[in-house]
Amino acid sequence: MNASFLLFTLLNTGFILLVSPFFMSLIKKVKAYVQGRKGPKLLQSYFDLRKLMQKEVVYSPNSSIIMRITPYLNLGALLLATLFVPVVFIPNAPAGIGNVIVFLYLLVIERFFTSLSGLDSGSAFGGMGSSRLMSLSAVIEPTMIIAFAALAYVLKTVNFHEMFAITAGSTIPESPTLSLISISLFIIIIVETGRIPVDNPATHLELTMINEAMILEQSGKNLALIELAHAIKQTILMAILINTLAPFGLATELTFTGIVISCFYFLVKASLLAGLIGLFESSIAKMRLFRLPGFYMMAFFFSALTILMEVFI
Amino acid sequence: MSLLEALVYGAIIALIFGTILPLLYRSKNTRKASFSLSFFSSILLLAFAGTVLYTGKEPTFPAFGFLPGLNFTMAADRLSAGFILLIAAVVPGVSIYSIEYVEHAKSEARKDIQTVLTNLFILAMLMVVLAGNMVGFLIFWEIMSLSSLMLVLHDYSSEENKKAGIFYFIMTSLSTAFLFMGFISLFRLTGSAEFGHLDYAASILTLPFLCLFIGFGIKAGLVPFHKWLPYAHPAAPSSVSALMSGVMLKVAIYGFLRFLLSVSAPEIWWGVLIIIGGSLSAILGVIYAFRESDIKKLLAYSSIENVGIIFTGIGLYLIFKLEGLEGLAMLSLVGASFHAFNHALFKSLLFLCAGSIVHATGTRSIEAFGGLIKRMPRTAALFLIGSVSIAGLPPANGFVSELMLFQAYFYSSALQDPLLKVLLIITLSVFALTSALVAALFVKLFGITFLALPRTKCAKEAIEVPQPMLSGEAIPAALCILSGLFSNRILALFGFDFGIPDMLVIGLLLVGVCGFVWLGVRNTGFSKTPRRSKETWGCGILAQHPTMEYSSIGFSEPLIAIFKKIYRPEISSTRTYSDTKECIFKDGTTKIHFPKFFEKHLYLPVAHTVNVISFQVSRMQNGKLGTYVFYVFIAVLTLMTFTRYFA
Repeated sequence: MNASFLLFTLLNTGFILLVSPFFMSLIKKVKAYVQGRKGPKLLQSYFDLRKLMQKEVVYSPNSSIIMRITPYLNLGALLLATLFVPVVFIPNAPAGIGNVIVFLYLLVIERFFTSLSGLDSGSAFGGMGSSRLMSLSAVIEPTMIIAFAALAYVLKTVNFHEMFAITAGSTIPESPTLSLISISLFIIIIVETGRIPVDNPATHLELTMINEAMILEQSGKNLALIELAHAIKQTILMAILINTLAPFGLATELTFTGIVISCFYFLVKASLLAGLIGLFESSIAKMRLFRLPGFYMMAFFFSALTILMEVFI
Repeated sequence: MSLLEALVYGAIIALIFGTILPLLYRSKNTRKASFSLSFFSSILLLAFAGTVLYTGKEPTFPAFGFLPGLNFTMAADRLSAGFILLIAAVVPGVSIYSIEYVEHAKSEARKDIQTVLTNLFILAMLMVVLAGNMVGFLIFWEIMSLSSLMLVLHDYSSEENKKAGIFYFIMTSLSTAFLFMGFISLFRLTGSAEFGHLDYAASILTLPFLCLFIGFGIKAGLVPFHKWLPYAHPAAPSSVSALMSGVMLKVAIYGFLRFLLSVSAPEIWWGVLIIIGGSLSAILGVIYAFRESDIKKLLAYSSIENVGIIFTGIGLYLIFKLEGLEGLAMLSLVGASFHAFNHALFKSLLFLCAGSIVHATGTRSIEAFGGLIKRMPRTAALFLIGSVSIAGLPPANGFVSELMLFQAYFYSSALQDPLLKVLLIITLSVFALTSALVAALFVKLFGITFLALPRTKCAKEAIEVPQPMLSGEAIPAALCILSGLFSNRILALFGFDFGIPDMLVIGLLLVGVCGFVWLGVRNTGFSKTPRRSKETWGCGILAQHPTMEYSSIGFSEPLIAIFKKIYRPEISSTRTYSDTKECIFKDGTTKIHFPKFFEKHLYLPVAHTVNVISFQVSRMQNGKLGTYVFYVFIAVLTLMTFTRYFA
C-alpha cells in the first residue's frame, strides 16, 4: 500500500459516495420533466437519506441476523468496488485491485445478501423479489461476463486500472469495437440498477416489483444504507461506461489540477449519461417479466459481436 | 525408510486398524477410537502431501509381488500428493462428525458396520491415489466402489434405498468395465502395467482415451452418466455422502488426470470433447438442481455441476497446451485442481450440515423447513459459510478457483485458431450462467431452509445438533475461509504464481470497509435511532402464517419458466363442474411433473435392450448338469478352432 493508493482510496471512494445520490435525483428529475411534472429537488436524495437515517428501524420478529447485517455488507461491498473503478485519477494500486472478475463478484455479494434478506422476514413480497432478482440476474450474467471479456479482449488486460490507463488520454474510443461494447454496458446499467424496462424503481405494485420488493421490509437507517449502496452501484457502472466510451479527462498521474479536471469532467459526463438514462426510461414501457431474457439477448449479441470482430479481423 | 514413507505407512496402518478394531471389539468406545484413528491418519497424510508438494521429492516404496508377473507398487508424485492433500483435508471433519453421527444409526450392528466401512472406504480411496500401477489402481478402485455401495445400502429396508443401491451398483460396474477396457488396451500397447509416459500418436490412443473418459466420467458424475448421484446420495448416510461427493468423485478426476498428463501428444479434439462435456455437466447440473426440493438430491446435482467446472478447466488446459500457451494451460490445470480441492471442502461441509438438518427435523424436503436459523444458529452459520463458498463470493475459496478459470478464459485472445476462440466464448458464457445460477440456487437453499417462519411442526421443534457434529462441520468451514484468504500464499508455496488477485488484501479490505460503515453509522449520531419489532405486513391479515412464505418450488418458478425447453414440465389437470355446460367450477386437481429426460431417453432404452438380450440368454439355462458340460465342450471347441485359424 503506497501513499498514492491511500490517497486514491479516500478521494475516489469519497467522491463517488458524495455524488452518487445526486445522479439518482437527476434521473428522477429528467423523468419528471418528460412527464410534464416539476420533479423533486436535485438534492432530494440527500434529504431522503438524512431523513431515513433518523427514522426508527422496524424489524419483523421472524427476521434474523441476515436482515441486520445485509445493509452493512451491501454498502461495504460497494464501497470496496469503488476502488476498482478509478474516477479521480489512476493510482498505483496493489495487485488485484481493479480485477474485473473480483469487481463482478463484489456485485454478487450485494445481490446474494439482499436476496437472502428478502426471504428473511417471511413476506411473500420479499420472496417474490428475491426469486425474480436471482433468476433474472442469472440470465444477465453471461452478458456481463462476455461484455467484460470483450473489454479484456480488446484491451488485453483484465484490470480496470490498466484498461482505463490505455483508454484515458484519447478523446474517442480506443477501438471502434469499444462503441459496440458500450451498448451492452448501457443495457447492463439498466438491468443492474433495476430500471424500466426491467424493473420500475418508482412503483410498489407487486406485479412489477423486483428490487423494491426485496427491500420492502427494510426501514430506517438500514434502508438508507441499502439505497446508498444502490446509488453507488449505479455511479460506478456509469463510470465504467464513461471511461470506455468517452475516456477524455481522466488523470493518469496524481496532480491536484488533474484530479479537479477529472472530477469536473466526470460530473459533466455522468450527468449527461444520467439524463440519457432518464430519457431512455421515459421512452420505453415496462416489459413483461418473461420477455426480459430476449432483451438480455440483445446485450449479449452486441458483446459477443465485439469479440467475434476481434477474433476474425 | 525415510520419514516421508513412514508417514504414509503410519496412515495406512492407522486406517487398517480403524477398519478391523470395530469388528473385534464392539463398543461405543471402539467406534470412537476407530474414527480417531482415521482423524490421526489424515494428519499424517497432511504432513506427507504438504512435504511432497513443497519439496517435489518423490518417495520410493518397495513393490509387493502377489501374483507372478503382477506387482503392486505404490508411488506418489506431485499430482497424487495434491489429491492426498484433498483427502487429508476432508477426512478430519468427517471423522469427528461421524463419532456422534453413527450413534444415531438404528442398531448396534449397523453402527459397527458403518464405522468399519467408512474407514475401509477412506483407505481404499487413499490407496487408489497411491497406486503405482494399473493393477493396484483397479483392485482398490473396486474396493472403493463396493465399500461405498454397502454404505449406500446401509438402510436397505426402504424400497427407495434398494433402488438407489442397484442403480449405483450398475453404474459403478459399468465404470469399472470401461476402465478395464481402457487399461487393457493401454497394457497391450505398452506391455507394462505401470503408469508411464505414453509416447504414442494420439490416433493409437483414441480407444483408451474414450474408454477412460467414459469410465472416469461415470464415476465423477459427468452428464449424461450422472444419474446415479441423485439416487445414491440421499440413500447414503450424510457423512458418507460428504466423502463420496467430496473425495470419491475427485479420485475419478485424479485417475483421468493421471492418464491425460502421461500422454505426450494428445489431440485438440480431446480437449474440445472434455470442455463440451464439462460445460454441459455444469449447466445441466445446476439447472436440474433448481427443480429439486430434496436437500441431498439438490446437493448431489450441484456436485455434478462442480465436476463439470473441473472438467471444463481440464479441457481448457489441453486446448491451451496444444496451442502452445503454457502459462494459460498451467493456470487452467491448477485452477481445475484447486476447484476440486475447494469443492471437496465446501461440499463435504454442506453435506454434513444437511445431515445435521435431516437429523434435527427428520425429513429431507426443503419445503418442510424454514426458520431453522433461530433453532440451529450454529449449523446455520456453518451452512452460510458453505453457501457463500460454493456461490463463489470473494474472499471464500470457491471464488478463487472460479476466478482462475475466468482469468484463463479472459486471456484466451492469445489463441490463434478462430474456431477455438468461438468455442471458448460459448463455453465462457455457459460457465458464467452456471456460476450465477449457483448463487441463485444457494440463495434458495439457504433462504428457504433457514429463514422466515418454520413451515411444519418438525421444523418448529428442531433443536441444535450435539457439539461433535458441529465441530466436525467447523473444520471444513474454517478451511474454506482460510484456503480462500491464503490462496495466493498456498499456491506460491507449492511453486505456482499466476498473479491472481490476493484474496487476503480483498478480504481484509472488505472487513475493513464494512467495519468502517458500521462505525460510521454508530458514531455519527444515528445510533440513537429507536428500533422496534413488529409483525411482517401480511396484507391486512393480523398474524403472519408460514403458508404466505415463498416455497422452494415457488422460488424456482421464474427459472423454470425461462428454461422451459430444458425442464419440459408436464402439466396435467382434471376438472369437474357443477353444471352440465361446464361453467361453474366444482373441483379439480393439477399436477406439474418434470420428466426425467436422460432416464427416459437414454437409461431406460439401454436397460430395456439389455433386458431383452438377457431374457434370450436365460432361455439357454435349464439347470441340468449335462447341458452345462455340453456348453463347456462347445466353448472349448470354438476356442480351439479360433486359435488355430484366426489368431
